[in-house]
Amino acid sequence: MSDSLEVIARTANGTRESRRLRRQGLVPAILYGHGIECVHLSAKRELLEAVIRHGSRVVELKGAVQTSALVRELQWDTFGVEPIHIDFLRVSASDRIRVKVPIDLKGECPGQRAGGILSLLLHEIELECTADAVPEKIHALVAKLELGGLIKVRDLDLPKGSRAVADADETVVSCVVPLHKGDDVAAATGGVEPELIGRKPTEEGEPEAEEA
Amino acid sequence: MALMPKRVKHRKNQRGRIRGDASRGNRVVFGDFGLQAEQPGWLAAATIEAGRIAAQQYLREEGRLFVRVFPHKSITSIPLETRMGKGKGEPEYWAAVIKPGTILYEIGGVSEEAARVCLARLAHKMPVRVRFVKRRLM
Repeated sequence: MSDSLEVIARTANGTRESRRLRRQGLVPAILYGHGIECVHLSAKRELLEAVIRHGSRVVELKGAVQTSALVRELQWDTFGVEPIHIDFLRVSASDRIRVKVPIDLKGECPGQRAGGILSLLLHEIELECTADAVPEKIHALVAKLELGGLIKVRDLDLPKGSRAVADADETVVSCVVPLHKGDDVAAATGGVEPELIGRKPTEEGEPEAEEA
Repeated sequence: MALMPKRVKHRKNQRGRIRGDASRGNRVVFGDFGLQAEQPGWLAAATIEAGRIAAQQYLREEGRLFVRVFPHKSITSIPLETRMGKGKGEPEYWAAVIKPGTILYEIGGVSEEAARVCLARLAHKMPVRVRFVKRRLM
């Protein structure tokens, strides 16, 4: 999926200038790649958020530059509400790129009906594919996943021409028996008071009190 | 038994100040939905446990709950009707230091509606203002 994004060239760089831009409703951006000098850009926040909402990985930049680019990195504010910076990587349609694609579960898991918990361990997978054929998401078919079963990277149905960068034996989805209540906490808790590092326990087995 | 560290270098910590926002632990990583703190504060081990129990009772072994915070800090106090001085008080409980933006809990494997209801039950127990967040794709 490819969206277009109107970008504006920016001459002033740095933290203060970037903050000034953000106050005006713009998001600072940078374009690099293909051995060409990098270009400092900015884009309207509403337009950029629309591109993000659509899940576009490759966008057609218009305005100050005319090129297709991969969204290489997107930085968010602390609360993950507003994008604060975006990195674009120049790509052409035939370029092979590495991109992270979300994994989506498809079907009803029989193991879940038998009392298991369907656990998605790998939320996104890194693929190597051509820039014009980046899939929106990868479907993991759980319709045949029984209790105690696993779906590994090698079991995923990847689009033609794309290759998974992750280890083929890496687990994507598992259907596991639920833990009994308190199991996870019991593992994480210590005794009544924690052991002191570097202090020898007294005869009664209690840790020594810290010297005043 | 509430959460606490297994081994510590010192039994008592200084109180400190909670400055700035969370720059780590502020994204939903393990599950699909999360509860994010909007204010700074200390989250007591007993509160973390109360939230976990509230969520587990709602989920009933359906989805998965992830507790993203751990009480590393010991909080001391002086007993009532005690004269000032005579050194620092004894550790009373353990707490997690929460900066604005910190993800406190995450839920995976349930629908958004169920996650919203579950995390709303949790939110009532929290000593800081919190909000519901979703995992980001980019």
